[in-house]
Amino acid sequence: MAPPRTRGQKEVRRHLLIYAGLTPFIVIAVFPIYWMLVTAFKQEPDLYRMDLFPLWFHLPPTLKNFQILFYQTNYGAWIVNTMSISAWVAAITLLTAVPAGYALARTRLPGAENIGIGIFVTYLVPAIILFLPLSRVVADLGLQDTWWALVVVYPTFTIPFCTWLMMGFFKTVPMEIEEAARVDGCGQLAALLRVVLPISLPGILTSVIFAFTLSMQDFLYGLAFVAPGDQKPVPVGVPTELIRGDVYYWGSLMGAALLVGLPVAVLYNFFLDRFIQGITGGIGK
Amino acid sequence: MSEPRSVLIDDAAVSRRGFLRVTGAGVAGGSLLAMLDARQAPAQVRGTSLRILQWSHFIPAYDAWFDKFAKEWGDKNGVKVRVDHIPHLELPARMAAEFAAGAGHDIIHNGSSILTRLYHKNLVDITDIYDQIGRKSGGWIPAAKSLVEVDGRYYGIPMFYILLPMLWRKDLFDQAGLKPPDTWELARVAARTLKPKGHPTGIQFSQCADANLNWRSLLFSFGGAEADPSGENILVDSKEMREALRFAKALFDEGMTAEVFSWDDASDNRYLASGVASWIHDAISAYRTTEDTNPPVFKNTFIGMEPAGPGGKRVSVAAANVYMIWKFSKNQQAAKEFLVHVMDNDREGMVQSRGYNMPYLNANYAKPMPVIGTDPKMQILQDFPKIVAFYGYPGPFTTPIQEVVNLFVLPDTFTKVARGEPIEDAVKWCVGEYRRIFARHKRA
Amino acid sequence: MVRRRVPEDLRQAQARMTHVSLHGGPDPAARAAVVSVPGRLATRAWWRSHSAQRLAFGYTLLAPAALYVVLLVGGPFIFSLYLALTDASVADPVATFVGLENFRAAVEAEVFWIALQNSIVFLVVAAIFKGLLGTTLAFLLLQNFRGKKIVRGLVVIPFTLPIAISVLSWKWMYDSQFSVINWALSGVGLIGSYGSPDWPIWLGQPYLALAACIAVNVWRTFPFSAIVLLAGYTSVPPDVLDAARVDGCTFFQRFRHVVAPMIFPILMIGFLFDTVFTLSDLSVVYLLTQGGPGNATKILPVLAYQIGIQAGALGRGAAIALFLVPLLLPAIFLVLRNLKRRE
Repeated sequence: MAPPRTRGQKEVRRHLLIYAGLTPFIVIAVFPIYWMLVTAFKQEPDLYRMDLFPLWFHLPPTLKNFQILFYQTNYGAWIVNTMSISAWVAAITLLTAVPAGYALARTRLPGAENIGIGIFVTYLVPAIILFLPLSRVVADLGLQDTWWALVVVYPTFTIPFCTWLMMGFFKTVPMEIEEAARVDGCGQLAALLRVVLPISLPGILTSVIFAFTLSMQDFLYGLAFVAPGDQKPVPVGVPTELIRGDVYYWGSLMGAALLVGLPVAVLYNFFLDRFIQGITGGIGK
Repeated sequence: MSEPRSVLIDDAAVSRRGFLRVTGAGVAGGSLLAMLDARQAPAQVRGTSLRILQWSHFIPAYDAWFDKFAKEWGDKNGVKVRVDHIPHLELPARMAAEFAAGAGHDIIHNGSSILTRLYHKNLVDITDIYDQIGRKSGGWIPAAKSLVEVDGRYYGIPMFYILLPMLWRKDLFDQAGLKPPDTWELARVAARTLKPKGHPTGIQFSQCADANLNWRSLLFSFGGAEADPSGENILVDSKEMREALRFAKALFDEGMTAEVFSWDDASDNRYLASGVASWIHDAISAYRTTEDTNPPVFKNTFIGMEPAGPGGKRVSVAAANVYMIWKFSKNQQAAKEFLVHVMDNDREGMVQSRGYNMPYLNANYAKPMPVIGTDPKMQILQDFPKIVAFYGYPGPFTTPIQEVVNLFVLPDTFTKVARGEPIEDAVKWCVGEYRRIFARHKRA
Repeated sequence: MVRRRVPEDLRQAQARMTHVSLHGGPDPAARAAVVSVPGRLATRAWWRSHSAQRLAFGYTLLAPAALYVVLLVGGPFIFSLYLALTDASVADPVATFVGLENFRAAVEAEVFWIALQNSIVFLVVAAIFKGLLGTTLAFLLLQNFRGKKIVRGLVVIPFTLPIAISVLSWKWMYDSQFSVINWALSGVGLIGSYGSPDWPIWLGQPYLALAACIAVNVWRTFPFSAIVLLAGYTSVPPDVLDAARVDGCTFFQRFRHVVAPMIFPILMIGFLFDTVFTLSDLSVVYLLTQGGPGNATKILPVLAYQIGIQAGALGRGAAIALFLVPLLLPAIFLVLRNLKRRE
């Protein structure tokens, strides 16, 4: 009979197994990112060589693609626009979804169940149809061709999901806490503000980061409502100025994506724990 | 970022009706033609703004020049001009959005997908400047009319078109002792000979704009047709269509690889730039890209005439580019003025596009043409205007034809055949689709 | 925002409450620790007499979100219904009512059924893979190991990159000539070299193209599935798991009988959201293949876009885009009601 393994050996073996299991996932998730990273620094002739190892450089790496990005396109403006839009949308989403989530979770409204279901239904209406009447709304508000148009339109797809998310978070806050607060003399609003919100801060932060991310994904609305070069957000500006006719500026395209996506990924990871908590509560126990 | 916004809010604040009244009075004053002749913007135009939407030209320098050009005109005439760019494939979506909004740009551009006839009820009737411009520059080429004409009135200005000539590797041809690809048969022989040597050819068998253009060039050069000159009768069910399909299948089997099924508009550019392609049938954007990324290949790449079909016919289907003015524009006068100004400087535009933009005006064909007239390799392009055609040939570019184009019916037909479907089945399907689409538009 | 620290005794009570509420509800003893008896009586009376206030409060809170959604989504939705029932086109500002004509025209086109089939295949296959990959990844992430946070951060990146650009980079990776995927596979010897019939043309062969599009969709969203699963798993109270372990269940028995039923609601919600997002997603296919080759990847949103916007036939485009709504709506309704009842 083999001698019993030591605890340390067991740990190492466990770790190795886990890493082995994780490797395919990390490769799948990260390989395209690595590829984008390398392409962003490659010189253009380097891209069109099939006989050479494509995952590293053959001509020396260059910052030229980034130069094109920042000096020959409006990338700087696009980043500012994207961040501004996302910040405003996150704010609007917070102001509407947090109260709505609380109302649906805690105030025992009649028909709350159906309203909750209605939240899903809004996602069934495809954007390719919505953008036409919304175009009218945007024009009537005088916001056409400014990035404010997107600030008005994006909440239509962030509010439903964030409401549902906040509903979940609020359901994990036990009723007794609020009742205790009210016994102590708080009104309903005060109870909400002073007791429930601080506890739900993780959920709120999660909603913020989610609204932020969703705002950065859109392409159609940005295209339909914002034409001027310096008003566009990144997802619209990049295909516009870096794909001309049938010529693709691959290096700059990749660089543009990474500069915008990676910081958000870092932020996202930071709030992941909270996100998990919120989804849990969404079903309510 | 706040400055453009304040301009827009000012615009929105001014009553639309009020403005139309003023501009209407100006036009009714009857001095418009005189003003256009004198090239002086009328007093009403000063202090107004003009917004133009067009594509991102594949040559960034052209966009830079155009934006500056527009601004200079604006400064001279006291008009605040702004040029916006979006990808040309998204112009239809943007047009739909502006139509739905009842607001947007003053001048809008269409490339490839020409929706002028579709939207004509919402576009300004610019017959006056169309005639004006034509008169000044020796008349419009015959193919220009059908793009923008509805019931004798004109609703757009064709600005330029983009040719898709033959781009072939002279070094590879010479090495193999092949004649230049002056006919489709020669091109096919070349592909057949060079494919085993690692140099196949490729034409998109997929749903993209170039496929719509390339396969029509082949079909029409073989004597085929899409619709008759009235535009009412579908002519795709023909002997010539079947011959063209047979040829395409043979060309694919002998001279291409299966990757052409995945190609988009840019794939043949890359094929040439990578040094693999023996020849491609593509716009000179490919030629220019190769110049930048693969100089040795570029040195050996030559531009060839549209190959002739079996009957000796040559037809080159080109991508049209048209500018229109929205009816809801608050500055129709300035818009018209500007379009005239652009067409007056057509030759300059050709230079700035490095020979990419081909003119619609006869006067601009006087040799030597800018850029292409002086570059020895590009001189052949000067002979193309005689054989250029657009979607719907020999009929006009009508709305049902536009839908046929947008649904990629013809490329799909060729693709089916290349994939091995019997030619009769493919033709039957194709005719069925055409009939269905034409019928729908007649119903509407 | 006013930052108030929650009083310590309240916080402790909450901790006890959470524990307790997961086990069938508060027991009187625990409650009493927080709420005094007279307070309890007063609380009940308080609620009853202020139910009207409660409702008013609730509806006021709900109003901004509801208004936003009703005005900016509901209104346009009614408008799109109107479009689907008229012969609206981008050309004509005036449209006449044509009843179900657009839907009839849609279903009589062969390409519509192809698009419907493709949409369903896309949805099902993607869901299967997302489920498999997501579950495995979630399981792995449940374990404790060094570098867990870094790994979590890495696998989340596909989800955070703007979709338009990440899809474009996939387009380059699938290129018929320069595909780095093919290069890698060829290097390992799994496929032939460039030019051989073995060299997959990802976006050129019908089944491969559909697979390629599905792969991009899965790549983008499987981290999300993993996280939803992770959330569900961590919501299972550890004592329940411990009890099961003590009772002698193996891991798989534990999973099947204890964990699965508890995380089922979360899975269903995640699945529903994912279904809706996938069915209406235009970007991946539009940017990769535009629906080609030969309609192999044409899915309903792409078809609707091409007919409605690019060809200008708004009515028909709207009909296609809305086609699935009457089918999905009752399904979603039933599922969600079922879930709520399960609570």
